[in-house]
Amino acid sequence: METQTILVVEDDQQIRDLLKVTLEGEGYQVVEAATAAQAAVEVRSCNPNLLILDLGLPDRNGINFIRDYRLWSLIPILILSARTQESSKVAALDSGADDYLTKPFGVSELVARVRALLRRMPAQPGQQASVIEFGDFRIDCIKRLVTRGGELLRLTDIQYRLLILLASNPGRVMTHKQLLLQIWGGKAVESHQYLRVYVGHLRQKIEANPAQPRHIITETGVGYRFQL
Amino acid sequence: MSLNKLFPACISSFCLTFILLPAQGQLNLSNMALLYVLLVVVIGSHYGRLAAVLNAILNAVLYAHVFVPPLFSLAITEVQHLLSALIMLVVAILVGHLTASLKVQAEQIQVREIQARTLYDLAKHLTGTKTPFEVEKVADQFLGLTLGILKIKIVSCHETKANFPVSLEALESIKKTQKPVIQIDKRIALLPLTSDYFLLCELSNNFDLHNSSPELLETVASVIRVALDRIYFAEIARETEIRRSAESLRNSILSALSHDLRTPLTVVLGLTESLALGKASPERQKAMLTSLHNQALSINRLVTNLLDMARLRSGQIELNEEWQPIDEVIGATLRQIRSQWRNSEITLDIPPDLPPLRFDAVLIERVLWNLLENAIKYSMCDLPIELIVRRTGDNLDVMICDSGPGLPAEGIEELFGVFQRGQTESNIPGVGLGLAIARTIAEAHGGQVTAENRTGGGACFRLRLPLGNPPMLSELEDDV
Repeated sequence: METQTILVVEDDQQIRDLLKVTLEGEGYQVVEAATAAQAAVEVRSCNPNLLILDLGLPDRNGINFIRDYRLWSLIPILILSARTQESSKVAALDSGADDYLTKPFGVSELVARVRALLRRMPAQPGQQASVIEFGDFRIDCIKRLVTRGGELLRLTDIQYRLLILLASNPGRVMTHKQLLLQIWGGKAVESHQYLRVYVGHLRQKIEANPAQPRHIITETGVGYRFQL
Repeated sequence: MSLNKLFPACISSFCLTFILLPAQGQLNLSNMALLYVLLVVVIGSHYGRLAAVLNAILNAVLYAHVFVPPLFSLAITEVQHLLSALIMLVVAILVGHLTASLKVQAEQIQVREIQARTLYDLAKHLTGTKTPFEVEKVADQFLGLTLGILKIKIVSCHETKANFPVSLEALESIKKTQKPVIQIDKRIALLPLTSDYFLLCELSNNFDLHNSSPELLETVASVIRVALDRIYFAEIARETEIRRSAESLRNSILSALSHDLRTPLTVVLGLTESLALGKASPERQKAMLTSLHNQALSINRLVTNLLDMARLRSGQIELNEEWQPIDEVIGATLRQIRSQWRNSEITLDIPPDLPPLRFDAVLIERVLWNLLENAIKYSMCDLPIELIVRRTGDNLDVMICDSGPGLPAEGIEELFGVFQRGQTESNIPGVGLGLAIARTIAEAHGGQVTAENRTGGGACFRLRLPLGNPPMLSELEDDV
């Protein structure tokens, strides 16, 4: 298997060094960029498999960078944000970033996220698995059936759509807005309360302990993340 | 106008004479005279002094001419009759005059009463004003019609001089004497408020110098001046309070930094140097690295808390409130707590079917995190921490209870205020910071955080949030 390349866009030298040491230790090839302009050059020349992007770049708004980048590339983007950037974090995810880490972050967490993102390479149409399995659960996307330990689980239309959407993006943060858009369409984007009610119902059905969910994880203030 | 008043005076006199004509010679002369005087009183009270005097003279002449013998002649032969006619004239004029004065006085009193009530209303409504603009609006609204003032404006002498309605010399003299200037011909009045501000009144056509005297305008100006002064000093008091609390915040941050941050930093410095020497055994090195990691985490916690507090205190926090279930944010917090303290056990007691609450999830997560972190740090026992959710009246309580040594019986309240008071160094790192943040966030949500000791040992922290009225969700799918 060929070495995977990660482009690190971060203006702070020390954090760049930390990322480089850690990721190279994990066997990835790391290319560094300190500014958005430099990143734009490197993206074309090194053709990375993953982009790690700091939201606070000196020369360009990170969200605009992601928007432009998403126009032509589908490779995953992991953003690094400071605690004071709560809203820009959500905006970055809405613009197409795949996951986020808040500084200061643990190295083990970083490596876990990078692995999860690289495992889930840009999905080609038709390549999506038609069967998703997690825990005792098995979702047959073609027959629209969900079973738990072989037993049929009854879900409403919206619950089913919500489950498919979450489960087919394991490990990825889905913002409230993204979920609402994909399940209800454009008109429902503001009514987060509906989403919470349905997530609550779905948890009742698939979580052993809905108050402490194992599969549908709440990312407070951002959205939900599905864990297989 | 005066003709309108004089005409009834003449007519009524002739009418009365005409009515009394059949009684000529039968009715006593003195009664006749009294009836004429009565008419003067009526006329005086209705049409004023001039009409009363005219009526009195006319009455006297008609009385003398028609009723006093010799009849239909002014030539009075008897001295007695002449005397009674003259007395009637004098009495009538006197009574008419008095009646008319009384009428004028009554009218003036009525006007004054309206003015007084207007001033009272003005003063009452000015107490609620918060800006000079509001003062101007209220004054304009309340003074306008009653005092014959068309428009009231508060103007500064620094405003464009061209717009100023009086000459510069007049302005200087107002400034010097602090006396109002009323220019009836230009229909304006300018009253000094402060050294730089003036009350500019546009007077209406029926503004009457007699009724709305300069003193009245000065009273208006002084009522408005009091309101402006109050606003000014309230603003100063507010600014002082902000400065004072910013000052105390800065002191608190400094003291927190000096103690709470220096301790872990000292450990970090020492450990890294020891590690660099490379003399410790591999097991020892591993323990040192763990300790290093823990110290870094504690620095991170402190910095996070300081940043949170600074943001909360500076008033920059905007609540991103939404209706959501509390159990969701509890679950998310527990997940994070467990990733950092793997060994502490937390038991949950959350009733099903809780109504959604309106809150900012990120901030409430901070509250729960801080309370749980406190419980873990201070319980120091292997007994589990309990997280209990209860509905009490119009509130929802989240209680986090430990089985530790409990809180000092005195000064429970002070736990929350350590940060504000900028207490000098304490030997427990970061204490109060987390609780002060928790309380500030809860209060921003209209709730509160309180602490108490449990019966049977241990401390209990209670986050109380108001339930409110969640919006009904329509079009929910039927769950089968």
